Amino acid sequence: MFKYILTRILYFIPTLLIITLLTFLLSQAAPGDPVETRLQGGQGAQGGGMSEKQAGEQAYIDMSKKLGLDLPPFYFSLGSIAEPKDLYKIFRKKERENLARLINEYGNWDRIEPYYESIKAFEVSLYDIERDTNSYSDLKILKEGINNLLNTYEEGKVSNTLSNMEQAMNTVSKLRIDSNTIIEKNYFESSIPAFTAMRDNYLAIKANPSVWKTNIPSIKWIGTGNQYHVWLFGNKPWFSKSKDPSLKGGFIRGDFGESYLDGRPVSSIIKDALPITMSLNIISVLIAYSLSVWLGVFLSKRKDSKLDRVVSIVLFILYSLPVFWVATIFIVYLTTNEYGMDWFPTYGLFSNDLSDDATFWEVAKDGGAHVILPILAMTYGSFTYITRQMRGSMLAVLKQDYIRTAVAKGLPDNKVTWKHAFRNSLIPVITMFASLFPVMISGSVVIEVIFSIPGMGRVGYEAVLARNYPVLFTVLIFSAVLTMIGILIADILYSVADPRISFTKKK
Amino acid sequence: MSANNKNIEKSTETAAQVEPVHKAAEDQSYSAIVKRQFRKNKPAVWSLRFIILIVIIGLSADFLANEKPLMCKYEGSTYFPVFREYIVDLGGSWPKELSSIVDWKTAEYDYAIWAPIPYGQSETDFANANYASPLDDQNVKSRRWWHWLGTDEIGRDVMSGMIHGTRIAMMVGVVSMSIASIIGIFMGAMAGYFGDEKLKTSWVNILLFFVSLPFAFFYGFQIRSYSIGEAFANSLFSALFQIFVGIIIFTVFIFVGQLIAKGLNKALKLKANTNVPIDIIVSRSIEILISVPRLLLIMSIVAIAKPSIMLVMVIIGATSWTGIARFTRGELLRVRNLEYIEAAQSLGYSEWRTIFRHAIPNSLAPVLIAIAFGVAGAILTESFLSFLGIGVEAEVATWGKLLSLARKNFSAWWLALAPGFAIFITVTIYNLMGEGLTDALDPRLKQ
Repeated sequence: MFKYILTRILYFIPTLLIITLLTFLLSQAAPGDPVETRLQGGQGAQGGGMSEKQAGEQAYIDMSKKLGLDLPPFYFSLGSIAEPKDLYKIFRKKERENLARLINEYGNWDRIEPYYESIKAFEVSLYDIERDTNSYSDLKILKEGINNLLNTYEEGKVSNTLSNMEQAMNTVSKLRIDSNTIIEKNYFESSIPAFTAMRDNYLAIKANPSVWKTNIPSIKWIGTGNQYHVWLFGNKPWFSKSKDPSLKGGFIRGDFGESYLDGRPVSSIIKDALPITMSLNIISVLIAYSLSVWLGVFLSKRKDSKLDRVVSIVLFILYSLPVFWVATIFIVYLTTNEYGMDWFPTYGLFSNDLSDDATFWEVAKDGGAHVILPILAMTYGSFTYITRQMRGSMLAVLKQDYIRTAVAKGLPDNKVTWKHAFRNSLIPVITMFASLFPVMISGSVVIEVIFSIPGMGRVGYEAVLARNYPVLFTVLIFSAVLTMIGILIADILYSVADPRISFTKKK
Repeated sequence: MSANNKNIEKSTETAAQVEPVHKAAEDQSYSAIVKRQFRKNKPAVWSLRFIILIVIIGLSADFLANEKPLMCKYEGSTYFPVFREYIVDLGGSWPKELSSIVDWKTAEYDYAIWAPIPYGQSETDFANANYASPLDDQNVKSRRWWHWLGTDEIGRDVMSGMIHGTRIAMMVGVVSMSIASIIGIFMGAMAGYFGDEKLKTSWVNILLFFVSLPFAFFYGFQIRSYSIGEAFANSLFSALFQIFVGIIIFTVFIFVGQLIAKGLNKALKLKANTNVPIDIIVSRSIEILISVPRLLLIMSIVAIAKPSIMLVMVIIGATSWTGIARFTRGELLRVRNLEYIEAAQSLGYSEWRTIFRHAIPNSLAPVLIAIAFGVAGAILTESFLSFLGIGVEAEVATWGKLLSLARKNFSAWWLALAPGFAIFITVTIYNLMGEGLTDALDPRLKQ
């Protein structure tokens, strides 16, 4: 038995690995730049001075390091031979993607790289330009142009931007020194070499394309210094006590990262949410099982009576009622005074006006009132399902010969039912525990979102909407582990209920 | 497992009611018996009728509820605007006179025949905006223009939304279950027919498979990733086409790899003696898919793409094949040991022909059960997603989306009742179908 459980737990590992791969792939495919989300769109300093710009850039780099996004994504990369291995070193996601488009278009990284660098050099050179009312509008055109160049790859748009910029570069302003002398001055004279270098570099890209390179695949090995590895296994040496934020413990060492939105550690988010979902689900399962097993046995003994038929129909209807409809109906009709039935609180787990020094009973009363409807909505589905199954399997068992024997030898009815029939009819109902578990975790998404209960389901739902991948990863993996443990427990209970089933091979 | 239990339950329940009827004249073929059994189950028969009704409403939704007239005489000539719209959607154009019409309702027709519900799914009736109740006074010309199920906040007709939502519900069933069936039947058949020991191949084949895999992926998807991305931005149809092309290129590369392997095998005189444990692979992937919370998984895939109801259907299909695969696997485990499969094998048919022409067609019947329950599940999932506002376009009305409006205004009781009731009825009907099929297809009931 122990060996069996151990093997099953070992089976968790590939399953979890595949789930991590799947979610990681999703996070890679998602649009948007988490670093910018985290810095709240902080583009550093638009139009500010050199130092501010550099500070913004530094903040970006620091944040990508902190989030572990400064590394290549995976152990290896599959791409064309035109793509360089170290493209990930371009920190800004948008610029990196644009360079990838350029490579896809022309295939000559050896020309594209100097072009990219000359754009940056030109940008730096602009900081030395004198800023006053005359140069202001042209400077603005040039800065917008740089931004455009970093984010476009289409030939027409790039040439257009370049010619606009050239016009701005060549503006000659007339400066009135005093009432008689007017001198002509080009503010941008010092930047002209940088500009021409940039333009020539672009022309060089167009002149020497090597598109064929984009059609030849190459697999590049990157090694363990990648986002996936660091996220899962960490890059901090084991048992080291270093506090360097760029060194991570990794998922398997309990370092789940931090939320993209507010930097809160994911572990603390989960610590708050998990007990809520767990306790709601456990209460719901206990209620469902304890009521329905009894009801199932009761119905099976009164098979084909009027009561049995009516209850069966009611159960079938309940079974088909969509949870989110029932929950909506509860909220719409039972929680406000709109229809005169303001019996329950509407949202959340506790009232907002609950004082901090409330006694235990006050808290329990308030919380209890809040969870009645959610638990009701969570329970009725599994309750009807289990009852129907229990009735069916009890009926099957009651037909068996050994039951007839038990009745024939004069055993009291109660003993036949509970001692002989009940145990055997329980087996299929126990296996349902396994199939019930994933349903319940999905179900808690529905219930928690509708009733605004801050459990795992709601946390996961909000993480999906905000593309908050560290949180989403953790929720998915925790749910998967819970599901697998549930299935395992069901299998073990199965062998407890039916001694004929054994997981150790008999000779 | 649970399906199996259901069988036990059902067989014991109905066996008592169904007295053995032996009529010499009756057709004793399996399909005839199944049909007879199914007809005896009144709720299932009614469900089937109701499903047909849903399909009819879904197909004719444009004619049942539309803001354009079905037929009208405008400036001397007769038009059929609703029909015409199909032509326009296919790339045609509106007639000149009609294209100048801004508001179909107020245009001056000589005469016009309107759809039974003369409102479109996203048409706003400003005169009845802000939740017009079906029971109170409405600001309409006559009963003909009444909003039978009221309106929502911006004056959209709920009845029209319900009718067009029926089409979505129907499509969810068809699209997602077709995808799930294709994947599930294929996977289940492989696992059930070959098991862990029967699929043998040489190591060269396996090696070349893994060698051709990156090539296939690179040429099928990677170098086309930008065009696929653009296709997704344009329309779902072009996106599906691009992905289809990608899959074809992918398959061709894998196939070429295997052809080379075949040649090498012949040249080197290698024997196919390496086992491919296909049953383990399939069972494991089913287990993995079951362990992930499906709702969150679907949400996270849908959330990174542009909202599209078709995409939701495709993803629901791609993640809900496990039940079908398990049924098919179980059936094929049984079927593969039957004599007629042995006969096919001894006639020298290839494995693939045996599977697809002989084994699968004879094990499809029980899969119908999984499909019937699967449709119910898919409709529930889709309506919950659109209830949350995930993956549904702004102009499309679905039942789930209508239901979610009830949360905005608690006094609009019709918004809480009508769509929820529609979802409930549809789900019940597919569940009843599933139960009816379970009863009818159970071989233990055969007389």
